[in-house]
Amino acid sequence: MREKFKGGLAALALALVTSTCVLGPSVAGASGQVPLNLDNEQGMLWACSFNPFLPTSSPYSVGLTYETLDFIDALENAKVTPWLASAYAWSNANKTLTFTIRSGVKWTDGKPFSAADVAYTFNLLKKTPALDANAVWSVLSSVTQSGSNKVVFNFTKSAVPYFFYVAGQVPIVPQHIWSKVSNPVTNPISTPIGTGGYVMSKCTPQNIQWTANPNYWQPGLAQVKTVNMPAFLSNNTANEYLATGQSAYGAQFIPNIKSYFVAKKAGNGYWFPPVANVSLFPNLTVAGLNDVAVRQAISYGINRASVSKIGEYGYEPPASQTGIVAPTFSSWSSSAAMKAAGSSYDPAKAKSLLTKDGYKLDSKGVYAKKGKELAFTVITNGGYSDWIASMQVLGAQLTKIGIKITVDPVASSNFYSDVYAGKFQLAYNVETGGPSPFYEFRQWLYSKNSAPIGSAAASNWERFKSPAVDALLNQYGATTNVATQHSIMSQLQTIMVQQAPIIPVLEEVDWFQYNNKEYSGFPTPKNPYAQPALYNEPDWGVVLLHLKPLS
Amino acid sequence: MRFLVRRLGFLLVALWAALTVNFFIPRLMPGNPAESMMAKFHGHVNPVAIKALEVAFGINNHQGLISSYFEYINNTLHGNLGLSLSYFPIPVSTVIMRALPWSLGLVGISTILGFVIGTALGAIAAWRRGGILDNVLPPAFIVISAFPYFWIGLLCVWFFALTLGWFPILGGYTETATVAWNWGFVGDILWHSVLPAFTILLTSIGGWILTMRNNMITVVAEDYVKMARAKGLKPRRVLWQYAGRNALLPNLTGFAMSLGFVISGAILVEYVFNYPGLGFTLLQAVQNEDYPLMQSLFLLITVAVLVAIFISDVATALLDPRTRSSS
Amino acid sequence: MRLFSSIGNVLLRSFKFLRRDKKAAAGSIIMFVLLVITAFPTWFTPHDPSAEIYTPGAGLSWSHLLGTTSFGQDVFSQLIAGTRQSVMIALIVGFISTVLSVGIGITAAYSGGIVDDVLSLVTDVVLVIPTFPLIIVITAYLKSASFWLMVLVLVITGWSYGARQLRVQALSLRNRDYLLAARARGESSWYVICVELIPPMTSLIVANFLGAALYAVLTAAGLQFVGLGNINTESWGTMLYWAQNNEALSIGLPLWALAPGVAIAILGSGLALLNYAFDEIGNPALRPVSAKRLQKARA
Repeated sequence: MREKFKGGLAALALALVTSTCVLGPSVAGASGQVPLNLDNEQGMLWACSFNPFLPTSSPYSVGLTYETLDFIDALENAKVTPWLASAYAWSNANKTLTFTIRSGVKWTDGKPFSAADVAYTFNLLKKTPALDANAVWSVLSSVTQSGSNKVVFNFTKSAVPYFFYVAGQVPIVPQHIWSKVSNPVTNPISTPIGTGGYVMSKCTPQNIQWTANPNYWQPGLAQVKTVNMPAFLSNNTANEYLATGQSAYGAQFIPNIKSYFVAKKAGNGYWFPPVANVSLFPNLTVAGLNDVAVRQAISYGINRASVSKIGEYGYEPPASQTGIVAPTFSSWSSSAAMKAAGSSYDPAKAKSLLTKDGYKLDSKGVYAKKGKELAFTVITNGGYSDWIASMQVLGAQLTKIGIKITVDPVASSNFYSDVYAGKFQLAYNVETGGPSPFYEFRQWLYSKNSAPIGSAAASNWERFKSPAVDALLNQYGATTNVATQHSIMSQLQTIMVQQAPIIPVLEEVDWFQYNNKEYSGFPTPKNPYAQPALYNEPDWGVVLLHLKPLS
Repeated sequence: MRFLVRRLGFLLVALWAALTVNFFIPRLMPGNPAESMMAKFHGHVNPVAIKALEVAFGINNHQGLISSYFEYINNTLHGNLGLSLSYFPIPVSTVIMRALPWSLGLVGISTILGFVIGTALGAIAAWRRGGILDNVLPPAFIVISAFPYFWIGLLCVWFFALTLGWFPILGGYTETATVAWNWGFVGDILWHSVLPAFTILLTSIGGWILTMRNNMITVVAEDYVKMARAKGLKPRRVLWQYAGRNALLPNLTGFAMSLGFVISGAILVEYVFNYPGLGFTLLQAVQNEDYPLMQSLFLLITVAVLVAIFISDVATALLDPRTRSSS
Repeated sequence: MRLFSSIGNVLLRSFKFLRRDKKAAAGSIIMFVLLVITAFPTWFTPHDPSAEIYTPGAGLSWSHLLGTTSFGQDVFSQLIAGTRQSVMIALIVGFISTVLSVGIGITAAYSGGIVDDVLSLVTDVVLVIPTFPLIIVITAYLKSASFWLMVLVLVITGWSYGARQLRVQALSLRNRDYLLAARARGESSWYVICVELIPPMTSLIVANFLGAALYAVLTAAGLQFVGLGNINTESWGTMLYWAQNNEALSIGLPLWALAPGVAIAILGSGLALLNYAFDEIGNPALRPVSAKRLQKARA
């Protein structure tokens, strides 16, 4: 009976296979050019909401449809490219920032873009805190239009690093449309009007399609006429989509990428530029971990190269205790701090540091002082199997030298609330960082980012407090002088080495796959003009503007 | 009539209970969707965004418990289910309407098929007591019904999709296909539904076979069936019109009762196959801590089961004269 | 004394039945083996189940009977170590649910009137509300369920089916002569319930225990599979979770995902076979018959 049933199914399947052959990827555009399919698995269907201020929908609109005042490239030392603003200037002891707004730019509905739109956008954020995802109004006091093409930003204190958020992260929206939106938080903005090179032309839960804006203000860019982003519910199918050559631009984690993807087709390649650190956050309020020698011993006891190889297929390179992501931010690296740190993996030094501090190996092979063993639990995000594997390797290394580590993979949602609330001994996690190392250092070390154990801290999860470091960070925030900035960053690196408030383990990378036989213009290590991963806003829009179809 | 009124009353009580449970669960438990939303961004979003998200999601809005309870009941009855958090600011009802057809198609059809086929097989097994069906089916399906649904799904994926390559591994359709009402796309959908439907069918059919067989065995021994046989009526007629019809009645109630169970299994089957229906959406909502979506889905599934039970009550009343007259 | 002798009687009959009935015998053997593994897992585990020290993704070999996971853990050892949790969940949830079912079902039937109406209504409501989505919602709020929390949730949602069945059976017994006689003698309610009412229902109660245990095993496995259990414990459902999360099937490690499923299926089959056998004790008409005997009887 069941045999027959199976046979019937097979026949049905066969019939359907033949019928599905007519289905290809979406139809070619009117120009005859093949559309570019993006591969960006999010595990959900598309909401078709394009509100550029909400983190749930901004990844699908900022950079492509909506643009920012400037483009700031993290991979080129925070290089500023004028975008909707043609120029900017600091004045009034770095408390006033004046943008000159570009002329000749049009919204995609044909109306002209002006300085009034910029002033309107920022005042909209002031009026609606739910939209102010970058908290720019925590440092702004006013934003006003001045003359026909200038907008003046007044800050409550000198806040130079906020330039990145104000100029590089806040998308500018048209006043003539948004002033009529009754509730800008809950309005899905299903037909976004921006200044960008691409117009969202069709959205279904299964696919978002963009077409090039023929009147784009930067002539010669946006040569790919049609861009599709299918919704993938699983990493499996998304990876297969790349491997079978249906997509030429992906942002996927692929195990065994060389055989699975690169070898499949000429032109396939990948580049994983590092942008931040994945680190161990020692809870500084926990006995043992509040001891500098123990933290340093942990840092020296980690064979980062081996963690990288086993836990991450070598995709994420080993990090440095100085906290500087190499090679991306190598120009910030302090040779003094590097020298003080010495070899990053030095188990003998780790042991001698502990012995010097009064610890002795007990009968179980664990260092202990006054009967208190160095035994800690590290929590990691249970949703990321690569992180768990990395921590298993790291835990075994440290346990071997006498610091007993237990790995506790915590369910994703629980993990974040535990990290925020400081309910951990050691936590393995990543900060957002920014276009220069300062941003990650500030997130790590600024005491105002922290909170008492039990209440949520947005960053500084280890609860580090140092008036000297706060002063350095404030001083950096008040200067535009590059030499001063470098000197401050060097001092902070020395503190990272000497106090080890955070223990960087690996470098977080951008996931990026491409086929450069089908399209030219992708960012490369030699020309890293934007962060290449499809989830970086507004960078991915900048990349799409620069792609050119070959053939 | 009285029977139906009573059942309708029961439906309302059960519905009220589900609504109330749904209201109180989140209020008794900790959790902050803004934090888990940040988790989903995997560090690509400025950490200060959590404050903005909390404002947008209306977290920390304090309101009296009683007044919010009535407001909740009122909103739910008016179909106002709030905004989804993971698809913010898309309304929950929109997200549900996208998923609903998939589940109705897959779970609905395969459940009804399972019931019809299982009942028929059970009836035949009992009719031919000691025959091959009677000896093979019960033990085989006792064993199969003890398997986890989702694992049967994994097995199917591994064997039919990965090893033999006959069917797609995942999804409700080719994810990059153009969505349109043409034969190609409909065929694509059917092709993707074969394995999940087969899984649900295989695991749910056993229950119907066993209960129907057991009911039939009791009914066949009744005098009126013996009488019908003795009168020399065609066996087929006796089987379906005399015995089958009466043995079906308790099975119909059983169908209603175990519908919740089948749907539970189907949730996991959808999860295994990444099938974009209600079950998959429910588990996605769990992963993203999308509480409004999660709760609305629970409510919707409950309502579906309750309505199905009521329909089977009506069917029982129509088929069984006894329930119509007595209470 | 009568209580013991009547229970003893039932046990004796059950034992004889087990010897005769193939389904029951198979079920008993399965349960016995699993109980031994549960009690003494170290007799069977060649390796530390959580140690990630072996070659990741290794195939079958004598040292790794079922290969290794992509973290380098021994699959067979994990399988053995996971037995305990599934069996414990089955036994504990089965027991507590059955106590609840018996208590509520029989109280309803014995008391009658408004008590019966209220208890029956509650039972029916719990029965029809789809439990699995409800459990998902509850555990989602609690963010991963510990062992005892899972037991609690499974008990709360798992008692109603048995209570309903037991109430019906008790109702049919309530007005039998010997019960009425016992009441007329002035025996206490407790005596009547425990000595006169429950013993004839033993097979149904055992069947209910097995049904609730099966429900617990499958539901717990499902919850753990989707990551709502405690993902750090050793259990079959958790193994499936990790296997699924690491795409075990696609990366060529099918045993990692299939073996724990087989284990759950074996435990489930053991419970289901016994359950069915006890159903047949309660209702002898359902027992399998040979076609020959049937023909003889008809002739």
